[in-house]
Amino acid sequence: MSNLLECKNLTKSFGSLNALNNVNLSIDKGRIIGLLGPNASGKTTFIKLCNNLLTPTSGKIRIGGYEPGIETKKIISYLPEKNYLNDWMRVSQLIQFFQDFYEDFNRDKAYDMLNKLGLDSKDRLKTMSKGTKEKVQLILTMSREAQLYLLDEPIGGVDPAARDYILDTIIRNYNEDSTVIISTHLIADIEKILDDVIFLKEGQIVLTKTVDEIREESGKSVDSLFREVFKC
Amino acid sequence: MLGKLLKYEIKSTARIFIPLYALLLVFALLNKFLNPFEVMESSVRFNFQSVFQALTASAYFILIVAIFVMTLFIAIQRFYKNLLGDEGYLMFTLPVKTRQNIASKLLIAVMWYILSAVAVITSIAIMVGPREFFEFLQSMIELLKDGLGVASLIILPLFILIQLIHGTLMIYDAMSLGHLFGKQKLLASFGMYAALYFITQIILTIVILSVGSTMFTSFIHSAGPTDVQILSFLGMLGIVAALLSVVHFAITNYILKNKLNLE
Amino acid sequence: MSWDLKSDRPIYTQLIEQLELRICAGVYPPGGRMPSVRDLAQEASVNPNTMQRALAKLEEDGLLYSHRTSGRFVTEDTSRIRETKSKLAQEQIEEFLQKITDLGFEISEILSIIKKITEELKK
Repeated sequence: MSNLLECKNLTKSFGSLNALNNVNLSIDKGRIIGLLGPNASGKTTFIKLCNNLLTPTSGKIRIGGYEPGIETKKIISYLPEKNYLNDWMRVSQLIQFFQDFYEDFNRDKAYDMLNKLGLDSKDRLKTMSKGTKEKVQLILTMSREAQLYLLDEPIGGVDPAARDYILDTIIRNYNEDSTVIISTHLIADIEKILDDVIFLKEGQIVLTKTVDEIREESGKSVDSLFREVFKC
Repeated sequence: MLGKLLKYEIKSTARIFIPLYALLLVFALLNKFLNPFEVMESSVRFNFQSVFQALTASAYFILIVAIFVMTLFIAIQRFYKNLLGDEGYLMFTLPVKTRQNIASKLLIAVMWYILSAVAVITSIAIMVGPREFFEFLQSMIELLKDGLGVASLIILPLFILIQLIHGTLMIYDAMSLGHLFGKQKLLASFGMYAALYFITQIILTIVILSVGSTMFTSFIHSAGPTDVQILSFLGMLGIVAALLSVVHFAITNYILKNKLNLE
Repeated sequence: MSWDLKSDRPIYTQLIEQLELRICAGVYPPGGRMPSVRDLAQEASVNPNTMQRALAKLEEDGLLYSHRTSGRFVTEDTSRIRETKSKLAQEQIEEFLQKITDLGFEISEILSIIKKITEELKK
């Protein structure tokens, strides 16, 4: 049984710029992983390649044994950094939409989370604040029982209380058959919930370790090490 | 999956068209009962009623123009916003094939072209009165049958349909090609459209000159083209449009599948 | 009792300490059932795998045991718990003494200060 996500010599270039350069990665299921790096390090490019929103310039990427395509889209739940949902829809309509297109969507979970966050399913997205929209997007993403969750900056635009709830949800959602990859700048907040950490710099992986390995070996938090490695 | 895409495409667009059509029918009814066209024929009397009638007549005409503009605008905007904009992050991560995404946009765009035409014609029918309208319709059908033969009743609508499909796919193709140009996407799309239009004209000219030449020579010798000749000419143009449509679809599909680069 | 996890030490080691603390303090009483890994991980806001490993270590050490189907339990062996309690107390005291002697106090001075403070507290 191969790993959940495998990359071999994955390269993506835009013109003369190498956004990702010969990335080799092997990710197991049942892990919570932090994809860390400054802007333009290739994090979003990597995630888009997993999602088939970009195609590799060279090299391979496989998820669940498949190349990015319909089969992988069925098992990946993606939370982009932007507002990507139809603005005019009500939350209830969005839930229906996700249920229509994704077999693994759990409607009850979605409504449960909506309640816990005090949101009304009859509200239209365009009437919501940015933070609330992001909560809705997160709820939809986490209500899927996917094999791979790709979260691009999931806690950036929300208040600290919601942030805690989101981290809580990720922990609660954990199961041995799925993996969560979180791409973020807010390392201090999330490092305790991560298994592994991948540092990405200028399109290349500069470090892959577990959180405890980093703390043990360097006597620092991942956040501190990050600041060191990526000092401007 | 295509069915589901179609369902949501209709939901997204109906919110705009249904109210417009409803408004059109309201004004059609208003005009029918106020009969402003009488006012225009007789002498002008500036009382409240005549001004009101003039206004409702103008509103009606403006609405018709608005509906046609809207139908084209929405066809373009749905593709641009929902596939090439931020919503593309949603649409292209759904477990559907790229060609299904394109097809759903195309099919619903064509649906609204047809429905808009039907709405406008219905509103006219309401204003002139159902009986007069159906009489007019029958006489038009007779005219076509006499002039171009029974086949024209099928070939003409099909011809219009294929031209609508071709036109729409050419716009999608232009937007997809424009998408490849990073910063100047919008400008590039217009440029691409101009280029595609130009190329299409050249192709049409070549086709008409080569294949059509045989038809034209017979025109010169006889009194004028026969219905069969006219219909087969249209048929030929239709086939060219169909082939070009396939090309445009293929290019659009290739670009969205392999060269997508959302902001 | 809140989970006091510092950012510069491995989470695994800290979780073991915190769990031992709670068992000794009676938060998880002897013979009592432990919350699930997921609940504990949520409470502490840590990775479930790490929590699982910490619990497994405590099982290894004999403070916890698991029943095939009914979950994890605290040992009923109170002497074992007392041992751990003593160990923790010893660690705390050694750390304290180290700091205090660094300040320059003699052990006898420290003992009388402690006696005075505990008497104050009783009042």
